Amino acid sequence: MTGFRLDKGGLIDRKAPLYFTFDGRAFTGFAGDTLASALISNDVHLMGRSFKYHRPRGVISAGSSEPNALVELREGARKEANTRATMIELHDGLVAKSQNHWPSLEFDIGALNSLASAMFVAGFYYKTFMWPKSFWEKIYEPIIRKAAGLGNASKEADPDKYEKAYAHCDLLVVGSGPAGLIAALMAARSGARIILADESSTLGGSLLNENEEIGGMSGHAWAIGVIGELGSKSNVTLMPRTTIFGWYDDNIFGAVERVNDHVLEPSPYEPRQRYWRIMAKRAVMATGAEERPIVFGGNDVPGVMTAGALRTYANRYAAAAGKSVVVFTNNNSGYRTARDMNAHGVHVEVIIDSRKEPNVDAGGVPVIRGGAIVNVRGGKRVSGVELADHRMIPCDAVAMSGGWSPIVNLMCHRGAKPKWDERIAGFVPPDVGDRFVAAGSAAGRMLLSECLADGARAGTLKGKTPAIPKCRDEAFAVTPLWWVKESTGKAFVDYQNDSTAKDLPLAAQEGYRDIELAKRYTTAGMATDQGKLGNVNAIAILAEATGRTMDQVGTTTFRPYYTPVSFGAIAGPFVGHHFQPVRKTPLHDWADELGAVFVETGLWMRSSWFPQAGEDWLASASREVLATRERVGLCDVSTLGKIDVQGKDAAEFLNRLYCNTFSTLDVGKARYGLMLREDGIVFDDGTTSRLAADHFLMTTTTANAARVMSHMEFCHQAHWPELDVQYVSVTEQWAQMAIAGPKARATLQKIVDKVTLDDTGFPYLAAKEISILGGMTARLFRISFSGEHAYELAVPADYGNLVARSIMQAGEEFGITPYGIEALSIMRIEKGHVAGGELNGTTTAGDLGLGKMMSSKKDYIGRMMAAREGLTDKNRQCVVGIRPFDAADKIRAGSHILKKEDAPSMAADQGYISSVAWSPMLNMWLGLALLSNGRERHGEVVKIFDGVRKIHMFGVICDPMQYDRENKKLHA
Amino acid sequence: MPDNFQRVSPLADIAIQGRFGADHGAPGVTLSVRHPVLIATVIARKGKAKALADALKSWRGATVQWAGAEQYFLLDKPFDEVRKKLEGLASCSDQSHGRVIIRIEGPKVRQVLCKGTPVDLHESGFEIGKSALTQMAHVGVHLTRVGRDAFELSVFRGFSESFWEWLTEKAEEFGYQVI
Amino acid sequence: MLIKCPHCGTRPVEEFTFNGDASIQRPTSNDPATMDQWFDYVYLRDNPKGRFDEYAHHSSGCRAWLVVTRDTQTHEIFNVVTARDYAKKRVAS
Repeated sequence: MTGFRLDKGGLIDRKAPLYFTFDGRAFTGFAGDTLASALISNDVHLMGRSFKYHRPRGVISAGSSEPNALVELREGARKEANTRATMIELHDGLVAKSQNHWPSLEFDIGALNSLASAMFVAGFYYKTFMWPKSFWEKIYEPIIRKAAGLGNASKEADPDKYEKAYAHCDLLVVGSGPAGLIAALMAARSGARIILADESSTLGGSLLNENEEIGGMSGHAWAIGVIGELGSKSNVTLMPRTTIFGWYDDNIFGAVERVNDHVLEPSPYEPRQRYWRIMAKRAVMATGAEERPIVFGGNDVPGVMTAGALRTYANRYAAAAGKSVVVFTNNNSGYRTARDMNAHGVHVEVIIDSRKEPNVDAGGVPVIRGGAIVNVRGGKRVSGVELADHRMIPCDAVAMSGGWSPIVNLMCHRGAKPKWDERIAGFVPPDVGDRFVAAGSAAGRMLLSECLADGARAGTLKGKTPAIPKCRDEAFAVTPLWWVKESTGKAFVDYQNDSTAKDLPLAAQEGYRDIELAKRYTTAGMATDQGKLGNVNAIAILAEATGRTMDQVGTTTFRPYYTPVSFGAIAGPFVGHHFQPVRKTPLHDWADELGAVFVETGLWMRSSWFPQAGEDWLASASREVLATRERVGLCDVSTLGKIDVQGKDAAEFLNRLYCNTFSTLDVGKARYGLMLREDGIVFDDGTTSRLAADHFLMTTTTANAARVMSHMEFCHQAHWPELDVQYVSVTEQWAQMAIAGPKARATLQKIVDKVTLDDTGFPYLAAKEISILGGMTARLFRISFSGEHAYELAVPADYGNLVARSIMQAGEEFGITPYGIEALSIMRIEKGHVAGGELNGTTTAGDLGLGKMMSSKKDYIGRMMAAREGLTDKNRQCVVGIRPFDAADKIRAGSHILKKEDAPSMAADQGYISSVAWSPMLNMWLGLALLSNGRERHGEVVKIFDGVRKIHMFGVICDPMQYDRENKKLHA
Repeated sequence: MPDNFQRVSPLADIAIQGRFGADHGAPGVTLSVRHPVLIATVIARKGKAKALADALKSWRGATVQWAGAEQYFLLDKPFDEVRKKLEGLASCSDQSHGRVIIRIEGPKVRQVLCKGTPVDLHESGFEIGKSALTQMAHVGVHLTRVGRDAFELSVFRGFSESFWEWLTEKAEEFGYQVI
Repeated sequence: MLIKCPHCGTRPVEEFTFNGDASIQRPTSNDPATMDQWFDYVYLRDNPKGRFDEYAHHSSGCRAWLVVTRDTQTHEIFNVVTARDYAKKRVAS
């Protein structure tokens, strides 16, 4: 062995060196290494500083439970904080930095906290930052914020892509160790659809880490054979680098696949990560078991790690964590480390076994029975251990084994609690039914043969379980030792949050006996690793301190995510431009050609105004209004919801949906309709036309189109299934445009076929199928939202741009102008037509001045509730027009209305302004308002209070219709 | 009534022919826009579900796709003919301009579609000719299997551009061509 | 959670929108004397622990309104029928 890289063995590729930097220093590793194993092979053990005391820390584990070796991975926009060095696959050019220290990892000022550790006991924050209250904002919070958090996230936008996907299978196998592999194999051979997922880059689980034999070959060789067979089957999906992070209702599993975390930069066509929802008919939890640390003085000094991690680094990565190892164990598995390290030529000084009479083959290594480490010597690297009997043993690595905890998390995500099993001294998973079963060491089976048998059983979906290959078992025995109470140094339970053994009895003493409370009081188990290593030790120490059993104390609640999931994966592809889909109207290109500015309304992009050189929005909209009112304008209204309502009972259905009557509507005519909610409040409005006796075309507001459709479906299916009525959205089939203004008729007449557009041929509220441009089917409606003589023309959507251009051409001689929804909005306010500001979920038909529409001859949605006292009170706020008393004043929507002599107060409030526009026709600001008893107050001078700007002015209440009050233009 | 106007697809300037995305040899999927197309929604009148299903089954040259309870998309027949033929059996609405049909086919088609729909498209439960109503990337999609590795995705016209962008991006990793 | 739509087959819960208790029925009378019934229908809802009939709209699928009978504690689903069939059965019984 040269340095700390073993000459032989391991699953690394010595022919593929990889170059990387850690804290700016250049190192070399090999393909197959993790960042942690590569650093260890370079004799770097100091990888980070702890959270509270800023203690030097190295790796504890070799997997996803790692609490200490958290680094900032990558730089710039791709920088990722708190990344576990044990899970980072080494790649060429990798850049990582240690975190939570200042000014450097080697010398960290924050470590002074350790000297003041008497202060930092459990509940420190609660006790210290209590008072005085005035200190909170200025002093305590900034201190806490500065101290909180470990690494730093990048402040740049993430340049990479993330996506989401769904998967389905007959059997999901979580974990690819011996139990998982054999379960997948058995199920796959039956032809079932299998997904085998593992968080590691390579499938094989513990078989990659251990020296074991299966079927006369090495466990690793056996695994390669099984994976090869699985990979060749079309009914099997292998998912390495995929963490199953949660189990949800009906056997849905959440997973993150790290597609490109192992390369410097993802290919431009691939995501970095993929977030999966896996719907599994059945699932097997073969997640294995986690080795526990023992709680003793200095159990966090770099060079102390779990026994399994120490031998994994040697067996899998050919990295020796030291040249002279001490093993400290309370069970048989520590001996395996001693034997494996011996085989690799690494000196094992001694096995310290806390048990008095262990019966295990130590492979020639001396054993101290009934021993315990009370302190580890060394600061940034182990230099020796002190035993309870004051012996000092020099060494540079300590392998500890406190027993094994089955990884039960997934099975407990839906509320079931694991049970304590004395035999293995670990919590075993609950029985959650046969759709999700545990197998192997995750189920508390500690022998290899048991794991294989268990896995084979779980993977047999039908018929008899086939025989399993032969293997050699190693006896498992454990006698718990949780905490070496004689410890002289700090003994850590939760490494990441620096909770020590003494914190738990203190929590109990102060009344926090419940494990959920003790967890929060001591913060044990609350860090990014969620206590994967420390929780059982914490439970045991609390049990002892309170005289309870492990089962009586129980575990804290297991929740997704098993390991941290990036926000990128959760957001998936729905960010930025893709946050939500964009919906474009069939006239989008036409409007775009004319320089329209578009605005998002819901998902729709609507043409808002059509500015000419030098115009702002107001100038543009004002010009569009003037042109429309004086000549003719063309507006895209395709976004209005359009619903085809057909069937023998179509008219009856509409009678029950609208507060007014539609059964009396003549074929070929349109009528304004108002829908209420069942509570009597106005829901939606629109024009509905009768195209045939059993065929209506309903229109809805743009905003409510989807809601109205759902409402119709509900009313029909749940209330009145007896009605013979069919309806479907045809919004997208039609390009619809409003042609408004004194020259609208003359313009349209030029493109319609045959029909004469006079008051007999096409009267007000006519609605008919016609043909235009020499043969194109179209629908024409003589309706108006602007108050002008106006039409709405609907043509099949693919022809929309063509027709709009044709109308522009036809109207050119009249000075036709395209107008957007700003101009439309100005015109409707001038005419006092209600829209979103008034149809706001609080107003009744009466409030809107539409009370007379409510029929008393039929039942309809909302009829009864609309009649109740509170909704008919004469002092309710109802729609009025409002204009400034001084015509030069600008009124603003949202301003409150008061009696002119009152000062602003809640009690004096009379209502508010709901819509405001600059009227180019009246040359002033005017608006609509909701005012208490407003209809009786036309002419009253009121105070308008703008609470945002803290200003007030006077206004005059008037009729909502402020322009062309006789509707002369409409009927012109 | 038949007319002779040029129908312009909303994807006319978007679905540009060519080879895109990763190049691993043959494209993973091939995309095309079916345009112009004739589509009608037909919904059974009360008590006529069986009679409608029978009438549709025996109609030669019509493509019938299930689209909800007692409801179908009927393709490839002019709307006037649909209305006449199904008079009294169904309420019919022309959707020829209202929907855009994208055809996607190729060896990676399921890997692309599973990024959007929770529907299990495995051939064991989703045979050729079967349709599903689902949502992909927040857009309602009517999806029909038209071949072992071929699907038609029908979306509202207004969403077609957004949907096309999403779909092609999801196909990039496999390489795709537009024909 | 998965819901087995009678028209579409098994779909995840995110395809559905919910509209509360399906067991209550819209009153049919417009007689002012029935106002209390209307108040109950519009505003009064139980919040049962256990078995519950709930309206679910397959809004991202076939758009049928369904009645899903589930256990509010365990999310176990016992039965799914269309709102149409549920309403007809209610009229019949």
